[in-house]
Amino acid sequence: MPDQTSYKHCYHWGAWSALCLTAAAAAITAFAPVAYANDSSETSSNRISGRSKWLCSSTDICTSEDEQVPGVQYLSHQFESQRDCRLSCGKYGSIWPMPTGDECSLSHERVHFDPWKVRFNVVAPNDVTTQFLHETNRLFVSNLLKECTRNCTLASSKEVLVKATVQSNSLVLDWTTDESYMMVVRSTDKVTFVDIKAPTVYGARHAFETLSNLVTGSITNGLLLVSAARITDRPVFPHRGVLLDTSRNFLPLRYIRSTIDAMAASKLNVLHWHVVDTHSFPLEITRVPEMQRFGAYSTAQTYSRADAVNLVKYARLRGIRVLIEIDGPSHAGNGWQWGPSAGLGNISVCLNQSPWRKYCVQPPCGQLNPINDHMYAVLKEIFEDIAELGAPEETIHMGGDEVFLPCWNNTKEITDVMVARGYDLGVLSFLRLWSQFHQRNLDAWDDINQRMFPNNKEPKPVILWSSHLTDPKTIEEFLPKERFIIQTWVSAADSLNRELLQRGYRILISTKDAWYLDHGFWGSTNYYNWKTVYGNALPSGARKDQVLGGEVCMWSEYVDQNSLEARIWPRAGAAAERLWSNPKSSALLAQRRFYRYRERLLARGIHADAVTPHWCVLHEGNCL
Amino acid sequence: MEPDDNKMSLAVCLRRFLLVLVSGAIFILTVLYWNQGVIKTQAYNDALEKPRHGHKDGAAFAIPIEKTWTYKCENDRCIRLPFNPNANGNGKGQKRISFISCSMTCGDINIWPHPTIKSLLSSHTLRFTTDDVQLNLDTPHREVHKLLQVAFDWFVKDLRQIQRLDISNSASMPASGESVIRRSQLDGENQRSSIFGYTFSLEKQAGDVDSLEIKISVQKSGDINFNMDNDESYQLKTTLEKRRLLVHITAHSYFGARHGLSTLQQIIWYDDEDHLLHTYAKSVISDAPKFRYRGLMLDTSRHFFSVESIKRTISAMGLAKLNRFHWHLTDAQSFPYISRYYPEMAEYGAYSESETYTEQDVREITEFAKIYGVQVIPEIDAPAHAGNGWDWGPKRGLGELALCINQQPWSFYCGEPPCGQLNPKNNHTYLILQRLYEELLQLTGPTTDFFHLGGDEVNLDCWAQYFNDTDLRGLWCDFMLQTMARLKLANGGQVPKYLAVWSSALTNTKCLPNSQFTVQVWSGTWQENHNLLDNGYNVIFSHVDAWYLDCGFGSWRATGDAACSPYRTWQNIYKHRPWERMRLDKKRRKQILGGEACMWTEQVDEHQLDNRLWPRTGGLAERLWSDPNDDHDFDIVPPEVFRRISIFRNRLVELGIKAEALFPKYCAQNPGECI
Repeated sequence: MPDQTSYKHCYHWGAWSALCLTAAAAAITAFAPVAYANDSSETSSNRISGRSKWLCSSTDICTSEDEQVPGVQYLSHQFESQRDCRLSCGKYGSIWPMPTGDECSLSHERVHFDPWKVRFNVVAPNDVTTQFLHETNRLFVSNLLKECTRNCTLASSKEVLVKATVQSNSLVLDWTTDESYMMVVRSTDKVTFVDIKAPTVYGARHAFETLSNLVTGSITNGLLLVSAARITDRPVFPHRGVLLDTSRNFLPLRYIRSTIDAMAASKLNVLHWHVVDTHSFPLEITRVPEMQRFGAYSTAQTYSRADAVNLVKYARLRGIRVLIEIDGPSHAGNGWQWGPSAGLGNISVCLNQSPWRKYCVQPPCGQLNPINDHMYAVLKEIFEDIAELGAPEETIHMGGDEVFLPCWNNTKEITDVMVARGYDLGVLSFLRLWSQFHQRNLDAWDDINQRMFPNNKEPKPVILWSSHLTDPKTIEEFLPKERFIIQTWVSAADSLNRELLQRGYRILISTKDAWYLDHGFWGSTNYYNWKTVYGNALPSGARKDQVLGGEVCMWSEYVDQNSLEARIWPRAGAAAERLWSNPKSSALLAQRRFYRYRERLLARGIHADAVTPHWCVLHEGNCL
Repeated sequence: MEPDDNKMSLAVCLRRFLLVLVSGAIFILTVLYWNQGVIKTQAYNDALEKPRHGHKDGAAFAIPIEKTWTYKCENDRCIRLPFNPNANGNGKGQKRISFISCSMTCGDINIWPHPTIKSLLSSHTLRFTTDDVQLNLDTPHREVHKLLQVAFDWFVKDLRQIQRLDISNSASMPASGESVIRRSQLDGENQRSSIFGYTFSLEKQAGDVDSLEIKISVQKSGDINFNMDNDESYQLKTTLEKRRLLVHITAHSYFGARHGLSTLQQIIWYDDEDHLLHTYAKSVISDAPKFRYRGLMLDTSRHFFSVESIKRTISAMGLAKLNRFHWHLTDAQSFPYISRYYPEMAEYGAYSESETYTEQDVREITEFAKIYGVQVIPEIDAPAHAGNGWDWGPKRGLGELALCINQQPWSFYCGEPPCGQLNPKNNHTYLILQRLYEELLQLTGPTTDFFHLGGDEVNLDCWAQYFNDTDLRGLWCDFMLQTMARLKLANGGQVPKYLAVWSSALTNTKCLPNSQFTVQVWSGTWQENHNLLDNGYNVIFSHVDAWYLDCGFGSWRATGDAACSPYRTWQNIYKHRPWERMRLDKKRRKQILGGEACMWTEQVDEHQLDNRLWPRTGGLAERLWSDPNDDHDFDIVPPEVFRRISIFRNRLVELGIKAEALFPKYCAQNPGECI
C-alpha cells in the first residue's frame, strides 16, 4: 500500500486495531479480487455498464479507474461502484449530517449482506422504550430495502447483528433531550456486530439513521456495509426544524408524512406546523367545530383530530416533535367569521376586506379582535385541543407576527374601547394592546397545562415570531424573557439576533435571506440554493442554550403538493447539517456527501430537486 | 440444509408470536405514557406507527370536492359563499353551485389560450357522461381519419379521468401516486358510494342529453406532415336538437381539427355537485394562432428524462396548443440516444444503460406527439456542446471526433463543464453527423420544413489549441455549412426550408445564408435582434430574460455566479412581447416564426419537470397563440387572465400533471381578491 503514508485522515485505529484486522480478513475473503478484464478499448463503456472499478483519491474524490488523473494519488482499495467508494472516501464517507464527535473512522472494507437477515437486539430499561426501538428497527430495515440496486435477497449473506442499548426510560422529546449516540461496527469472518449506545431512544434512532448512511446497494444483489466503523455524535443545536404552512395551500397528509420521512433522514427534529392562517383553517378543533367548518378550503382539505394525533405519533417515532402554531392576532381570518352569527360579536376584524392593502400585508385580510372576551375564550378552547394533541412536554407557537396596526386603528369597536380605557391611539398603545393579547393567551396556556399535566414542574415557554413587539428597545416591557422564546426571521445582516441575545432572550433562527424556502419565486426575492442555506452561520449567545437552533420555512403561497418536495429538499438537508454539526468548513467540502444524501432521499421516495447536472455527480471534482 | 431451515422458521414463528403478545401489552403501557397525569378525550389506542386512513386523504383527487361553498356570479366574477344545505329548514331551497360551473358560465369564455377570432357561448349548460360521447369523422383523407380517431380516444380517456371514472384500463398515462390511490378507491361500487357519500352507479346516469356527437370535418387538406404553412385554424359549433347535442369541429387540416379538440376539452367540465360532465348548449368558436412556431425545448442531456415524462409534457403542450417539441437530445454532458449506426455514442456517452433512448422510444414519442398536434424536432448540438459520447474515435481508428473533451480548467475551453467540441477537420465527424441526421429524420419524419442544427457557444480557444487557422470563426462557419450539406444528403437531397441555429457570434456575421437559416435568438441586445431581422433571417425568440425556464435556482457549480437568475414567473413569460417592443414593420414581423420556452436541465430532473414547466409554459402558449394586447405596467396581468390560467392549471393537475401552484388556494376560490 504505497499511498497510505500520504493519507491524512483521522483514523483512530489504535485501540481496536486487533478488531479491524479480523474485520479486514473477513472482508478480504468475502471479496476475493475478481479478475478484471483490462481491455482499454472498452474502458468508457465499462463505466456506463458498471463494469469498471472505482478508486478513492487522497483528496477524497471517487473516480472511475479509467478516468484516473495522472499525479493524483489513490488508495489501493478498489470499489465496485461510485456509491461503494463514497461510503468511506473522506473522513465522513457519505454520512449526512456530518458527525460531530472526536471519533469518526470508516473502514474501506465491506460486508455484503441481505437486509432481511439483519438481526436486532434491544436493551432498554422499560417497555415503551423497547417498543420504540423495535419500531425504529422496522423503519431502519424498510429504509435499507430502498437502497437495494437490484434484488435485496442474497443467498450467502453475512450475518449482521445490531445491538442497541438505551439508558433512559423517558420518551420526552424537547430542547433538553440528549440526542447523542455512539456506534461501533466490527466484523469477524462470519458476523458483523453493530453496537449502538445512546442515552435516549432518540439518540439511538439517529444512530440507526447514521448506520443507514454506511450502507449502499451492491451492483449485484444485496447490500454493502462498511465493515468497521467507530462514530460518536451529538447535535450542536437542540431545535432543528422545518416550518410547513398548510393554510395558504393545503397539503394532503401523505405529503406531510413524506416531509417527516425526509426530516428523519436528515436528523431534523422539529416540524413546525403552521397549520392555520388567514387563508384557511384546515385543522379540526373538536371543541370549536366552527373553525374548520368556516375555514377549510373544502371538506376534503382538512385535518381531523385523529389525523393530527396520528401525525404527532408518526413524527415522534422518527425523532421529530410536532410544534403546532396557532398564529394570532394577525394571520387569522377565515375560520373566524362565525362570531356574529353565534352571538359572540366580531371575534375577528378586517376579514377579507378589500382593498386589502388598506387592512393587511397580504390578502385575504383578517386580525383577531383583542377587545372581545369571546375571542379569548375561543382561543383557549383551541389551545386546549392543541395541548391534547401533543406530548405532555410539547409547547405551542403563538405566532404574533406582522400585526397590521391600521386594521385595529380602523375598527371603531376597538378604538372606542381603547379610548374608554384611557389609551391614546398611538403606536405604543397598540403595542400594549397586542402584548396584552399574548400575555392573556399565555395565562390561558398555563392554566390548561396545569390542569392537564400537573406533573410538569415548570410552565412551558411559548414561541413568538419577531415583530414590532420584539424590538430590542422595548421588548422587555412587553414580553418576559423567561416565558417567550423569539423566532427571528430577519436577514443575516440584521442586528436583532445579537441584541435579543444580549438581553437574555432565547431565540430560534429562520434567517429570511437564507432559510426562507419560498423566496425566489415572487416579488424581488432571491432563491437560496443549498450552498447559501448551508453557509448560513448562526450567532451564539452568552449562555449556551440561548440559541436553541433554527428552522427553514416553507410558506406555501406558491407551493402545494405538486412542488412541495422539490422546494424543500434537498435544501432543508443543508440546514440540517448546519444545525446538527454547525461545520466550520464550507459547502464546497460537503458537496460530494450532499449529492449522495440527495440520492438517498430519492431512493426513499422524496422528489428532491436536482442541484447539478448528473455528469457532475458522476465526475467528482470536475465542475468546480 | 433443509431441516435446519425448518427449525429456524419454527423458531422465527414462535418469536413473532411472542412479539405480537408483547406488543399488545406494550400498547397499553404506551397509552399509559401518553396519558400520564391526564385523561384525554381521545384514546391513543391505535397502532403507534400506522396512521389511520378513516379520514379521506385530500390527495385522493387532485381537485377535491368543495361541499362547503357555493358560488355566485357577480360582475363577471365568481363570489364564494358558505353553503349550508339546511339553511331554509328543509334543505330543499338551495342548490350548490360548484366553483367550476360558476367559472365556466361567468364572464368571458374560460379557455386557455384565448380564442382569437370569435367565441360565443350560451349560458345554458347541459349535463352528460362519457358514455354519451360519439365520434363522427367527416374527412376523405385516410391518414387524417386515422389520426383523429386516435386523438379522439385520448380525448375520451381524459374525459374519463376528469369524470373520475376508473382509468385503470388506459395505462398510457403515467401512474402518478394519485391515480394509484384513485384506482384502489374506485374498486367496487360499495366503496365508491361510501367514499363520496352519494350513491353512484356505473349504469348510465341521467344527463340532459341522449347523446353528444362530436363531428369533425376536415375537407381541404390531407397533409399530416408538419410545416410552417399548416393551417391550424378551426371552428367549433355546438347545437342542440331535441336531446341530441352536436359539436361540430371544422378545420382545413388535421392540425386545426386537433386544436379544436383541445378547445372542446376545455369547454367541458366536471361538476362535483351532480358528478356529471357539463358543456354549453350552444357555442360558436372561431380560432387561429397568431404565430406559427410555438415551441418548448427540453434538454435531455444534463439530466435524463423518461419517455413517460416526455409524453406527459407533450400531452400538456397539446392542451395549450403548443406545436413544436424541440428535443435538445444531446449535449457535452451525455449522449442518451442509442444510434442505429453508432451505438458507441450512447455506450460511451450515456449516464447509464438505463438512461438511454432507443430508436423505438423516439418513434413512439413522435407518434404520440402527432396525436397532440406537436412536431418533434431533434437537435444534436454541434460543433460545441458535444463531448461525452464522441470520445471513442481513436479506438475505432476514426481519429479524434471531438476535442477538449472534459478538459480542465474548463472555463478556458467552454461555457460550462464538461468541455467538448467537435473536430471540424475530421471528415468522420461530419459523416457521423450525417448518419445521425439520417436516422433521426427516419424516426421523426422526413422534413421539408424545419430542422435544428445547434451551433451555439463555440469556444474558439478550444480549437486554437489544435489548429493554426487565423480565422477560427471561419472554421466555425464552414462547419455549419458543412453540416447543412450533410443534412441535405441525409434528407433525400432536400434542405429543410427553415434551418435553425442558436444565436451566437456567428449569426451576427452574415456568413450563414439568410435564405436557409433561421435564428433562434436567446441572448444579445435589442440591436442584435434588429440586425438579424435586417439581415433577412427568420427568427424564433427564446430570450433568456423571459423564456428560459431554468433560471433562478442559483449556481449549480461549486464556484461562480448563477447564470441567469432570477426565476421567470408566469407573468414575466406572459408579458414578453419582443415584436411589440421592437416596433416591427410588416415585412420584419413576417420573419418572426414564433417563440419557444427553454428548459435546460442542469438543475432539473424528472422529479420536478412538471412543476418547472407548468403552468408557466402555458403563459407562453397564450402569448404565441392569442398574443393579447397588453397595455399594463411591467408586471401587471389583468384579473381576467388570472382567472383563466387558474382554471387551466387545475385542468393540468386533473390530468395528472404536477403543475405548480399559482397562488394560495384562497385566491383561486376568490377570483380577483388577491390582485
